[in-house]
Amino acid sequence: MPMDSKEIGQLLEKYWNCETTLEDEQILRSYFNGSDVPDQLKDAAELFRFFEVERKRSLDTNFDHTVMRSVKKTERQAKVVSMVQWTRMARIAAGIGVVAIAGYFVRNEVMKSKDQAKAIEDTFTDPKDALEETKKALMMISKSFGKAKTGASKINMFNEAEKKISGKDDKENDKASDKDSKNI
Amino acid sequence: MFESRVLPVKNKLFRFAFRLLGSSEEAKDVVQEVFIKVWNGRDQMESIENMEAWCMRITRNLSLDKIRSRQRKATDPIEESFDIQNDTQTPYEAAENNENMQRINQLIASLPEKQRQVMHLRDIEGYSYNEICEILELDMNQVKVNLFRARNSVREKFIKINAYGL
Repeated sequence: MPMDSKEIGQLLEKYWNCETTLEDEQILRSYFNGSDVPDQLKDAAELFRFFEVERKRSLDTNFDHTVMRSVKKTERQAKVVSMVQWTRMARIAAGIGVVAIAGYFVRNEVMKSKDQAKAIEDTFTDPKDALEETKKALMMISKSFGKAKTGASKINMFNEAEKKISGKDDKENDKASDKDSKNI
Repeated sequence: MFESRVLPVKNKLFRFAFRLLGSSEEAKDVVQEVFIKVWNGRDQMESIENMEAWCMRITRNLSLDKIRSRQRKATDPIEESFDIQNDTQTPYEAAENNENMQRINQLIASLPEKQRQVMHLRDIEGYSYNEICEILELDMNQVKVNLFRARNSVREKFIKINAYGL
């Protein structure tokens, strides 16, 4: 829809006030790219022509090639980085492995000792046998106690002797202290 | 996937980076970096709703990083925009040699960062306000205010230059 300069002037006022839509701005753009622009709109026309020129600024054609090459290059670097990460992961995995193996052996040991405990428990199936065995064991302890008691009574003799000696000493000390008190 | 969805927007990314940096070599570097980022994250590409806006946002961030790392005077981007013509010229760039085009280019280059970004995205690339909000991570109000200031500042200065030859 061709517009006269008056309508364009009104649209331009809206443009300066930032009230134009993208469509309005497109109308202005195509109007000012035409050839016959009245003098009073020349300044605006220059501005719109500048926008038009700037919109066509572009990269040279071999840019795609260059950019794809540099993109691929960084990807290779990224792969190197991922290798480093892989070795790091391997170290962590090895650590976990060591702990797991150690845990396995410890568990095995625990299980073995449990088995031994069970083996002792299950030696006697008949209660009478168990009683006999217990009696034997107690007798053994009792005999040992007896031996220990005779030994201990000898030590007791020493103790009593020591007491008697120390008792005498005490009496002598008492007498001495009595004398001292009388002197005072 | 990469070549069908990302490569076609390369010129938009390039123009945006160029607008921010004022140097086509640096702008090329930025676009390349964006592509490398996208390529490395291509597994997550499916989840990105607006691929183009996302790429534009990365372009902006990388360009701003570059500007910060330059540590030069604030006036430099304007001076650098003079150097564009030294590159091999396409017919469009030849048209840019026009005096008025150069003036407008300088006026836009001298705008504050946000105004320049918003004006580029709207008036050159034709993005909707919503898309601009997404790319620049600004709210609608900020986008409109910045666009209003940019358009009117360029307009006033351009009229002044033409009237008084300043």
